[in-house]
Amino acid sequence: MLSRLKTALRALLRRTLVERELDEELRHHIEQQIEQNVRLGMSPEEARDAARKAFGGVEQAKERSRDARGLRWIEELWQDLRYGLRMLRRKPGFTAAAVISLALGIGANSTVFTFLNAILIRPLPYPEPERIVNLWERASGSTGTNPVLPLNFVEWRDRARSFEAITLTQSFPLNAATQEGAEQLSNLSVTSEFFRVFGVAPALGRAFTAEETKAGGDRGVIIISYDFWQRRFAGDPGVIGKTLLFGSSQQTRPVIGVMPAGFRLPSLTPDVYTLMSLDRNNPNSIGGRSFVCYGRLKPNVGLASAQAEMSVIASQLSNQYPADKGWDVSVFGLQQHLVNEARSTLPILMSVTAMVLLIACANLAGLLMTNGVGRRNELAVRAALGASRSRIVRQLVVESFLLSAIGGAAGLLLGVWSARLLLFLSKDAVTFGRMDEVSPDLNVLGFTLAISALTALLFGLPPAWRISRMDLQTILKGYGRGSAGDQSHNRFRGVLIIGEVALAVILLAGAGLLLRSFSHLLQVSLGFQPEQTLTMRLFLSGNEERRASLADQITQKVETLPSVRAAGIIHTLPTSGFNSGTGFYFDGEPEPEPSKLLNTEFSVISQGYFAAMGIPLLQGRPFGPQDRRGGLRAVIVNQAFLKKYFPQGDAIGRRIVVVTVNKAPTEIVGVVGDVRYNRMTAEPQPTVFLLHSQTPRYISYLVVRSTADPMTLTSAIRREIQEIDKTQAIAAIKTMEQYLSESVARPRLYAILLAVFAGLALLLAIIGLYGLMAYTVSQRTHEIGIRMALGCLRRDIFKLVVGRGLTLALVGMSVGVVGALALTRALTGLLFGVKPTDPVTFAGVLSLIALVSLLACYLPARRATKVDPMIALRNE
Amino acid sequence: MARKKKTDMLQGMLDLLILRSLRGGPLNGWDIMQRIQIVSGDVFRVIPGSLYPALHRLEAGGLVKAEWGASDNNRRAKFYKMTAAGKKQLDAEWETWKRFSGAVELILRDA
Repeated sequence: MLSRLKTALRALLRRTLVERELDEELRHHIEQQIEQNVRLGMSPEEARDAARKAFGGVEQAKERSRDARGLRWIEELWQDLRYGLRMLRRKPGFTAAAVISLALGIGANSTVFTFLNAILIRPLPYPEPERIVNLWERASGSTGTNPVLPLNFVEWRDRARSFEAITLTQSFPLNAATQEGAEQLSNLSVTSEFFRVFGVAPALGRAFTAEETKAGGDRGVIIISYDFWQRRFAGDPGVIGKTLLFGSSQQTRPVIGVMPAGFRLPSLTPDVYTLMSLDRNNPNSIGGRSFVCYGRLKPNVGLASAQAEMSVIASQLSNQYPADKGWDVSVFGLQQHLVNEARSTLPILMSVTAMVLLIACANLAGLLMTNGVGRRNELAVRAALGASRSRIVRQLVVESFLLSAIGGAAGLLLGVWSARLLLFLSKDAVTFGRMDEVSPDLNVLGFTLAISALTALLFGLPPAWRISRMDLQTILKGYGRGSAGDQSHNRFRGVLIIGEVALAVILLAGAGLLLRSFSHLLQVSLGFQPEQTLTMRLFLSGNEERRASLADQITQKVETLPSVRAAGIIHTLPTSGFNSGTGFYFDGEPEPEPSKLLNTEFSVISQGYFAAMGIPLLQGRPFGPQDRRGGLRAVIVNQAFLKKYFPQGDAIGRRIVVVTVNKAPTEIVGVVGDVRYNRMTAEPQPTVFLLHSQTPRYISYLVVRSTADPMTLTSAIRREIQEIDKTQAIAAIKTMEQYLSESVARPRLYAILLAVFAGLALLLAIIGLYGLMAYTVSQRTHEIGIRMALGCLRRDIFKLVVGRGLTLALVGMSVGVVGALALTRALTGLLFGVKPTDPVTFAGVLSLIALVSLLACYLPARRATKVDPMIALRNE
Repeated sequence: MARKKKTDMLQGMLDLLILRSLRGGPLNGWDIMQRIQIVSGDVFRVIPGSLYPALHRLEAGGLVKAEWGASDNNRRAKFYKMTAAGKKQLDAEWETWKRFSGAVELILRDA
């Protein structure tokens, strides 16, 4: 009813006016009655009394009028809110403690949820992203993902029916000429189906066509990214047709398209896209198993059936081609592949934050309960004045909702802020692939609101219910103190504290384990010297001769710089823990089948490499001028290789045939120490080092050892290189120490995270313990006074209070230890050199908690000893 | 509009009396109480504690409209006027009452 609503609104918004009108109206009635009475002959006083009696209860009439207005509950709710706010303001300590507890608990959860949101819930920014997949090759019997052979891609494209389109891609840098010299661009080489797979089309210009991908097509065309367009061409709309000059081949390539703003692959942001030329008749001419394949599933095809079909095709190919023997195919959803990593760690994170929230809520419940008990008198009076039980409960529930709302808002803000902090800290650490999409949004808001509301209901309702059931008579007459209700209230709070301490133990144990694990990690010996070593990436082009001589010229020139001690090249920095693998066999034996080759990793290096990295030579000699191009190929092996394949230690002078080196025999000339390029790798693998000038590569990393801060050398090195070849650019400039730091960034992040949350948990638990102790002491001053009067020493009082607190803490610790022993098993995957039940960690945690609990009890205990028995006894 | 249950009969009767008194023009609460008492020959004496809640309910329901004005002795008072909806309700209530009282009379007479 519209008029009902209008009346209710008016009553709400102009309350004083409405009240005044009501008062005036009733008063007018009474005055009329008085007048009538006077006219009937009564004296003024008689008239007044009679009038009042005739009217009956004025307040009751007013109240019933107010009820009759309808929609009273809105007014009452408003009243409750205002009253609640006033109450919160009057008790700043209580409010602060509750809000802080909630904010910390909810903030922790909303932080982690913000991440979950970005990674799992918000879809990738492509059309129907759930249909985009990765196809990998997989060696039968292993679970790894392996890059793809172009021949297989062509076969898959012909045979598979599950895909709308599949595309082959490869990422490698290109040197592009600039005004000042050259710039190294990140490039993605793709077949023409790429655009169909990702459902994207260039915002300007056009995409590659199928014609162009075929052998013989015009392959010189490029498409540039939006950011590159802005950077290089200043967003010029006439960019189509403009050219870029590439590398030593002096090839000018016209731009035919610009990708839309913000388009990128999950773990790559290419500056340019080039056309992959795939010759159907000889696909492997462009390379071996080093390509990445993406596909888009047909509308009605699921991941499982696509995988089934591809496995069948894989076995067909395995029978048909010797190169495919023993290879299978894996199909992974694009999103899932990114998320596998997150899946193992986020559940742990979420349970940790859930525990922190639990502790915060336990504090809140305790606070609400105590607060309610303290207001017994006030509530009893309200009940006596006619407030129904439901009204009182409603009042208390509204108050706890208010607290939750304020705490939730604070928690959300805290969550936003700490998510940003977390993002900053974890830049190096976690390659979830979409870290830059981490920002809170409606999902997060909804989540925090939900948690806040749930907390309010779960923990506001029980105390409210208990309070409303207390016998009002008893309360008003003051008999309520020390009653059974009080006892159970204190016991309940004690139980809460025990629970909090237990949870804190579990979290601290986890944090301790991760911290110890991390410190062990830092002590792993590396086998080389990472200090003052700079690395950068080069893209060498041209034929073998040219590449070999370029590499040598560059290293020699760089070595002439004043603060450079040594410079060398390696074809790929195995700092991520992965290296290139190949097979070999002993010279003189017949060449075995591919699957029977002996396994080894390999690196292609230049002479100065070992010196630049500080790797010691153990036997034989290093590469030298006698190892020329065209001469007998020399190789150096590492100690792991020696131990595995030459257990007698007699490798020098022996010959092996390394499959990747055109099957020419090579002679082992030296043995170097084992190296762990990052602290996370398990054992150093057998490795063969080939000489770059004998087997030149395209991509190489320059390693420079300097006597000073390596980063200061960057421009000097760039100048030297440009003097040799104007079109040569450098990129990915980083020190070895940076790589090392990145490699442990993930364990470091987890350790820090868990330590922060555990610290939060401990803080909350200690606040809870302190609060309970302080409250208990203040409630029992009377009892303390009696004890003192009867001869108890202050020292004993002190011990009594501390004893009570420590007992709670000890029980909590026992429960916590049991729980921790059970739960830390979940961390095994993240631990390094530490058992989940490590006694040192547990001992440390328990001592810490005992100490901190002692501190928490200290102040209340001291206050207890300061009680003056005379005053205490008199007050009751 | 509120549904009429058997328990609302008394409340409905009061509403009826109030609306009927307003048929002649706007009145304040005191006047309404007087009029009902006088017209019913002192049979019905409306308690103020019931009258004013009823008036406010009618006002909230849109059956009467209130305006502040001066009473006969120049005091400020709240005057109630019947609205069109109120008129309709009055007629409907009257019909219901006639049926009700008619039925009661039938039963009593029959016995």
